[in-house]
Amino acid sequence: MQPILSVHNLNKYYGNQVGCKNMNLTLYPGEVVGVVGESGSGKTTFINSISGNLIPDSGKILIETGNETIDFLEISESLKRLLIRTELAFVHQNPRDGLRLDVSAGGNISERLMSIGQRNYGNIRQTIFKWLDKVEIDKSRVDDFPRTFSGGMLQRLQIAKNLVTSPKIIFMDEPTGGLDVSVQAKILDLLRKLVRELNLSVVIVSHDLAVIRLLADKIIVMKNGEAVESGLCDQVLDDPQHSYTQLLVSSVLQV
Amino acid sequence: MIELNKITKKFTLHNQGKTNILVFNNLNLKINPGEIVALTGPSGVGKSSILKMIYGNYVFQSGQIKINNHNIDHKYPRNIIELRKNIIGYVSQFLRVIPRVPTIEIVMEPLLEINSDQNEVREKAEKILLKLNIHKNLWNLSPLTFSGGEQQRVNVARGLIRNYPCLLLDEPTASLDSVNKDIVLNLINEKKDKGSSIIGIFHDEYSRKYLKAREIDITKISDAK
Repeated sequence: MQPILSVHNLNKYYGNQVGCKNMNLTLYPGEVVGVVGESGSGKTTFINSISGNLIPDSGKILIETGNETIDFLEISESLKRLLIRTELAFVHQNPRDGLRLDVSAGGNISERLMSIGQRNYGNIRQTIFKWLDKVEIDKSRVDDFPRTFSGGMLQRLQIAKNLVTSPKIIFMDEPTGGLDVSVQAKILDLLRKLVRELNLSVVIVSHDLAVIRLLADKIIVMKNGEAVESGLCDQVLDDPQHSYTQLLVSSVLQV
Repeated sequence: MIELNKITKKFTLHNQGKTNILVFNNLNLKINPGEIVALTGPSGVGKSSILKMIYGNYVFQSGQIKINNHNIDHKYPRNIIELRKNIIGYVSQFLRVIPRVPTIEIVMEPLLEINSDQNEVREKAEKILLKLNIHKNLWNLSPLTFSGGEQQRVNVARGLIRNYPCLLLDEPTASLDSVNKDIVLNLINEKKDKGSSIIGIFHDEYSRKYLKAREIDITKISDAK
């Protein structure tokens, strides 16, 4: 099996300031990679740099589409935009960043569908209902504006909006941050199910080690813009080798 | 077949004065197909650590671990993920699950990795839950609110629903009453008869004798301590 996404020696600086440095990642189909570290460690810079939100200074990003390998940093802007609308998806920490608040819930979900050329109203409506059902939002809310939704519902709507075109690679930046724990459990359960059902490949950023432990197969631990340790998720969390990872793991409060 | 050759394992606690703890030195162990090995020795001697090294959960500093001739190598996490999907099953002491997920789905999960027929998998999960005396009323509930013994049996069901060539058992009968203990032990014996290489920790002599396990005192097979 070939990795669907591989990142080699990626660097991103803000002036003299390190955003992230010397980052590598291999993501196989159906795999979830977690990126952890304290705030300011470069997690978000990294995920933004590999998903097309930021332009890294150097490095290589290869995406395997099944037919060909795409050099993500070398392709034309239009092809990149197409990829971002079809094969890639980005779930923001704050769903308000990923949704259009003055467009109905159904309109939000259909946006990606229409952008890849679907025009049949009946079919689109059908797909919208299917996805509302998957993310457990009542069908009757389809024409309501997202601003009338709760935080947890907004996050689930954002997930539906992103997954509707069956993207192969999903990037998530703290998808359960800011949600209360019962809503968080619901979203985690949903994400796990979708990963299995749709064989999704996911890069997920979180500072919550418990979230990463439940979702991720592999993990990258970042500090000061660099990866200090990476590997199998439960191995790194149960038998951390680097002093910073040991500190991080031992700082988690036990419930 | 599970083989450990000349394993050295130590923990270095960087934030606690760089303390080094040598757990194993020159540890050798082999578990054949159709065999049950029971690890014994006082608590803290590293019984669980051995299981965790085999499962790829703990790293080791030198030596070799082979599972059906595949190396456990932490430089290649993908390989370990594949081994866990296909070859190694692990029944841990504690259940770790996402809140809200129903018991039946937790038990079905490992089998769904290799069989996408939902109905068939559900049937098998129901069968093993019934066998382990988990009442039907509980199947659609999350096991987080179950009693210790019930949680453990859910864990066992999840671990034994498949026929893994290699099986690691960390006190699978610890909090069970005698009736349920025998049921679990019989299930383990079935796996042995099917040719699994099984290594486990069983705190009571009764279980070890019942399984006719080959007992290995860890203090005698490692040079550490």
